[in-house]
Amino acid sequence: MLEIKCPYCGKRSQNEFSYGGDASVKRPELGKEISDKDWDDFVYLRKNLRGKHSELWHHVAGCRQWFKVLRSTATHEIFKTTKVNE
Amino acid sequence: MSQKFRLIKSGYIDREKKISFKFNGKKYFGFKGDTLASALLANGVHLVGRSFKYHRPRGFLGSNVEEPNALVQLYNGAKTEPNAVATTIELVEGLVAKSQNCFPSVSFDFGAINNFLSKFFPAGFYYKTFMWPKSFWHKIYEPVIRKAAGLGVAPLKPDPDRYEHKFEYCDILIVGSGPSGLASALSAAKNGAKVILAEDKPRFGGSLLTDEVTIGNKKGKDWADEKITQLKLMPNVIVKNRSQVFGYYDHNMMVMFERTRDHIENPSQFTPRQRLWYIRAKEVIISTGSIERPLVFGNNDRPGIMLASAAKEYMKVYGVIVGKKPIIFTNNDSGYDTAIEFKKNGIDPLILDVRSNSESSVAKEAKNLKINIKFSYGVVNALGYKKVNSAVIGKLNKEKSGYDNLENISCDCICVSGNWTPTVHLSSQSGNKLKFDDEINAFVPNQSRQNESTIGSARGLFTLKETLEEGFTKGYDLSKKITGKDLKTPTPTSNERIYEQHDKFWCMPLPKKKNYKRCVDFQNDVYVSDIELAVSEGFRSIEHVKRYTTLGMATDQGRTSNLNGLQLVSNIEKKIIPEVGHTTFRPPYTPVTIGTIVGREVGKHYRPTRKSPMHSWHTRNNAVFVDAGLWLRPRYYKQNKETLLEAAKREATNVRNNIGICDVTSLGKIDIKGPDSAEFLNRVYTNSWMKLPVGKARYGVMLREDGVVFDDGTTTRISENHYHMTTTTAQAVNVLSHLEYYLQVVWTELNVNVLSTTEQWAGVALAGPNSRNLLSKLFPETDVSNESLPFMGFKQADFFGVPARIFRISFSGELAYEINVESGYGVFMWEKIMEIGQEMNIEPYGTEALSTLRIEMGHVAGSEIDGRVIASDLSLEGMLSKKKDFIGKRSLNRTAFLNPEREKIVGVVPLDKKTMIPEGSHLVMDENADLPNPKLGHISASCWSVEYNNPFSLAILKDGNKKIGVKLYALSPLKNKSIPVEIVSSHYVDPKGKRVRS
Amino acid sequence: MQKYSIFSLIKNAFTNHQNWDVAWRDPEPKKEYDAIIIGGGGHGLATAYYLAKEHKITNIAILEKGWIGGGNVGRNTTILRSNYMWDANGLFYEHGMKLWENLSQELNYNVMYSPRGIINLAHSDAQLNAYARRGNSMRLNGIDALMLGRNELKKMIPFADFSETARFPIFGALMQPRGGTARHDAVAWGYARQADSMGVDIIQHCEVIGFDIQDGKIKGVQTSRGNIKTKKVGLCVAGSTSLLAEKLNMKLPIEAHVLQACVSEPLKPFLDHVVTFGAGHFYCSQSDKGEMVMGGDLDGYNSYAQRGNLPTLQHVLSEGVAMFPNLSRLKILRTWGGIMDMSMDGSPVIDKSHIEGLYLNFGWCYGGFKATPVSGWTFAYTIAQDRPHKLNEKFKLNRFNTGHLIDEKGVGTKTWIG
Repeated sequence: MLEIKCPYCGKRSQNEFSYGGDASVKRPELGKEISDKDWDDFVYLRKNLRGKHSELWHHVAGCRQWFKVLRSTATHEIFKTTKVNE
Repeated sequence: MSQKFRLIKSGYIDREKKISFKFNGKKYFGFKGDTLASALLANGVHLVGRSFKYHRPRGFLGSNVEEPNALVQLYNGAKTEPNAVATTIELVEGLVAKSQNCFPSVSFDFGAINNFLSKFFPAGFYYKTFMWPKSFWHKIYEPVIRKAAGLGVAPLKPDPDRYEHKFEYCDILIVGSGPSGLASALSAAKNGAKVILAEDKPRFGGSLLTDEVTIGNKKGKDWADEKITQLKLMPNVIVKNRSQVFGYYDHNMMVMFERTRDHIENPSQFTPRQRLWYIRAKEVIISTGSIERPLVFGNNDRPGIMLASAAKEYMKVYGVIVGKKPIIFTNNDSGYDTAIEFKKNGIDPLILDVRSNSESSVAKEAKNLKINIKFSYGVVNALGYKKVNSAVIGKLNKEKSGYDNLENISCDCICVSGNWTPTVHLSSQSGNKLKFDDEINAFVPNQSRQNESTIGSARGLFTLKETLEEGFTKGYDLSKKITGKDLKTPTPTSNERIYEQHDKFWCMPLPKKKNYKRCVDFQNDVYVSDIELAVSEGFRSIEHVKRYTTLGMATDQGRTSNLNGLQLVSNIEKKIIPEVGHTTFRPPYTPVTIGTIVGREVGKHYRPTRKSPMHSWHTRNNAVFVDAGLWLRPRYYKQNKETLLEAAKREATNVRNNIGICDVTSLGKIDIKGPDSAEFLNRVYTNSWMKLPVGKARYGVMLREDGVVFDDGTTTRISENHYHMTTTTAQAVNVLSHLEYYLQVVWTELNVNVLSTTEQWAGVALAGPNSRNLLSKLFPETDVSNESLPFMGFKQADFFGVPARIFRISFSGELAYEINVESGYGVFMWEKIMEIGQEMNIEPYGTEALSTLRIEMGHVAGSEIDGRVIASDLSLEGMLSKKKDFIGKRSLNRTAFLNPEREKIVGVVPLDKKTMIPEGSHLVMDENADLPNPKLGHISASCWSVEYNNPFSLAILKDGNKKIGVKLYALSPLKNKSIPVEIVSSHYVDPKGKRVRS
Repeated sequence: MQKYSIFSLIKNAFTNHQNWDVAWRDPEPKKEYDAIIIGGGGHGLATAYYLAKEHKITNIAILEKGWIGGGNVGRNTTILRSNYMWDANGLFYEHGMKLWENLSQELNYNVMYSPRGIINLAHSDAQLNAYARRGNSMRLNGIDALMLGRNELKKMIPFADFSETARFPIFGALMQPRGGTARHDAVAWGYARQADSMGVDIIQHCEVIGFDIQDGKIKGVQTSRGNIKTKKVGLCVAGSTSLLAEKLNMKLPIEAHVLQACVSEPLKPFLDHVVTFGAGHFYCSQSDKGEMVMGGDLDGYNSYAQRGNLPTLQHVLSEGVAMFPNLSRLKILRTWGGIMDMSMDGSPVIDKSHIEGLYLNFGWCYGGFKATPVSGWTFAYTIAQDRPHKLNEKFKLNRFNTGHLIDEKGVGTKTWIG
């Protein structure tokens, strides 16, 4: 079971959190012109890399804050966790 | 003939407490402190089981978890336990065990015919045959093979025992209480660290229980006992026996099971059988010791052939001698310990040592004791079908490729010692990539990947002196790092026998013209010839060898066979072992009871049950409940002997004619506050929200970014910056996370907060023509007229002293209201409404009637919003604002979504106006078309329309708009039904929506 | 090639099995091949086999980084089925079932195809209706399916929880009688042996480290054992797809996730079907060796580590005990994890790519094993003919642009939701 340090609550076991996927995916701005391809890439394409992966987690059974985790997808080692805007 | 192999004294068993047990129907006696294995051996019983494939007679190879042969079935009925390892079962009064995988008995087993035909069943034989004729595999061959395979018999009744979970945190978890584990626990605990010391066995001390050593001025075992007592008294230490750490998971999460019940004679009713510990440790010290390897020779799997270390343990711990005419067959010095122990107990052993000589202190001790030692000798073949009775021994030639001479000598047991394999399972599980240690001919841990340290013989350190030093140092170093304290415990002096290097020779060659079976993996019947065959057929990777021969895949996971198998492959391939590599170590270390892993999440506690505050009222009033996710909701309120359909019709009719009350508490409710709330709603819903006045509700649809409909519901503006959102029961949790995601991650500029209030409000729907009339009586002080509280209106009002919210919204399509009060007043509200509504013929209605009402109105619900439809499929395109952007809008211009012939929601009526169309039926043009028959759409929901008194269904139909009036077939091949139907509008009742506004 | 049969087995017994041929050769890579398949898993081996057999392209190499059959074909729960709702999936997998039915004979290798029936338990009327929609769709596609009631189920799986204390009672089930299991390793080895016999070079311990692309055309691959020329490359690397795609500067609509599975100790047979639990994601069958083979949910976060964590297993096994309360006293023998190439709509891609001569096969989620024959069969067709077969024409990569998604579950792009 992963141990994740919520930037608001501190270290907690994984079962308090839910996963939110690749944090590098940025939602295009509302109302802004965007090509079909760029939009579809946003919706469907993922880096899916092996190694350091920036990802979102949600402290659902805690403070209910979303935050970012830098974690190795090869070893599951967590390098750091930060608030979303950090 | 009771316990005639029990020594007069020695051993750590309690001779005062005699215990009776049954094995294969026969009654035996043992002592408290025995294992089933030691008690059987005390009674001279060696034959305990049959091998997996050839049903060869088998006895005890080991004395602990390494045991591959002695699997037994414990007890009968619901409490039966298959595949229990006899060497690890503590004897309790009344224990009942029997042999497995044999018929009619372990002594006479029909399956043993396989052994005589074994020539035809080499490794992988089943891949090469049983292919003809085609249908025979599943019908004939497979059932026979299945019946022959398997070991124990599974219980078929629910497990009567309970299992518990415990969560712990500690500074240092130490796995194994041998000398290195004890030493590190002591020095870490004394230096202030919070320590957990876990020992798999009932007794602490590991090798100190059996080795002739002294520490300080005490015997090894006495030192261990004293230190355990000390540790138990320390407040920062948890000491656990019967507790096996079986898994090393991510971020130093260690998982351990503790056996808490089966060894107790009269456990209390609530004593759990086992307890699972999740332990998050800052540091983990692995001091799991090592396991002796067998030597391989002809028929080396016969009962009576066992590890030398096991024979020694039976003598020293249990006071049992495993034979009176023993051969000790070894390639190293540790086998001599066993010989000396025999000798001390008055039995003359014969030592066969494949080495040409040994000058170690222990060898000298043996020589001084006048033990007969034959160097350059080994066992070539063992004889005796159900128990070894003699052996062919041979003097090895110089190259050890054959024999100078062979002779036959009688014996009643053969104790084998092929050197030691470190128990590296946990180290490997932690991510530590093992390296091969050429000196000990085994894998040892290398670089730690987590906060893990492997010490003692688990990393190939075999002298007590070094082990103790390492233990004390490691405990001190790690504790200092954590506690910052600096109290060092000195390492005591110690005395031990000195061993010399072992000989790497381990597999006896076949004499000329002999083709003895030489066993590598005992339980799975993998022999030297099988591994040779696999390699010769091109299965050269060790993983291929393992899978083709099943080497190491038995319940003992190859603890005594993997390394021998590897050595064999490396010999055949003429590669060094590290090039061959090893198979992966995965949890669990030994098989773990499923109940232990599951814990208390069983039966009704499998998942939580969510109940509305009015649940007790529903129960008292004959509600029949239905699972809606985790919620239990009244499906209908049963009257007399009516069926579900009859009840649904009655309840729905009463809504249409009078008034009904429905518990809608389970709907998701989200409180939304903040100055940007309107803007936020405008982005998450597809329709416009900027102009919703205070005191008004609006229906909204949410999409996922891929354009698919996510959820729907109403949101009400309570005050300027305060909204109350409702979601479907199914999506309540997901919608909240979704909103939080957009607020916290995407649109951080918006000043909005969201909070789930699902459980804070009890909600009821009042629906039917009488509902306003009733409402006026429930809220006499409040103006509930159509003008003051119009459709989609909202008011806060006083409900007999309780603050309430009134929403004029309708799912049933009738004039309807929803009332919310704080949860604690739910029953009060419900009962008051029932009381006052009685004169207007109020009746409660459940989800079935609710479905009926919404279906005939053409309102969509979960069976239509199934995560695969877009808004226009549900005729909700009018909800899609053209003026603003919203979540998922950009996806809506995809080719497939713009297809004018896309699916559309429609109504479906059977032509005979009688036959209910089963949900899940498909609509087709031609009921008799060739398969695959093109499907035009499917029936998503069906009801008996109470308005028209005939069946009515909703369907999602290709090009549905253009098919109104068309006649199709609704096919349900599963129910053998073909129903001619006509497509109609989905708005079957009150298509203009007059009633809700009336 | 030696023919395997009861007679060859007996004959070899008398020479102590000294005269068996190697199942496949261990050749050095040649300088050039007509086609290269990357990935010696089930799909790669099957693709090479059908290229050789159906399309007579035999100058092929399979390049495998490790040992063949070491990926998901060797670490799955061996279930075969075609019980899909959408036509694209149903017709595709049904063709696969037909290949399975003859596979042992075709490969002269006993893959132990065992049509023991797969039972999907339903725990509410709503779930039964959803299953009916699927089952009726199957039947209209010519696939076997039937509905079972509680009483029929009590006879088939009497040890399931039919009691009052079941949290989610069993209402009924959808069953595909021809669904079942096969021996996973044998599938890989059987394809390898036949492909090899037709001249396919199976090259193990050969990692692809780059691609040689000129003017939008594939010219060859760079490997740990040298450069190899070819005009056609088929990518069959499942969980490693994104890693190779990165070398091609491609991002794909998949994520890698861990799925754990486990087996119990061997037991005498008591479960004769494959059964899935509808109030969770648990499924279970009993192997011919007697082990209960069990699996369930993803661990739920991107991962290339072939290891999972215990809470997921706890969750999955709690579902198992909820379904079969007698499982509680059995013991877990082995657990392991595999990397799933989870696609964004839950269905695979078998398609050409924008690079001429490069063909893609990925996105199998947790259903790749059953697809092995039909994936190889259609992928071989796609590579040989340079266009998809009718059976895989819906599995296009550009469906994520056109919106023609094939979403059986309806959960969208949250691939980590099982």
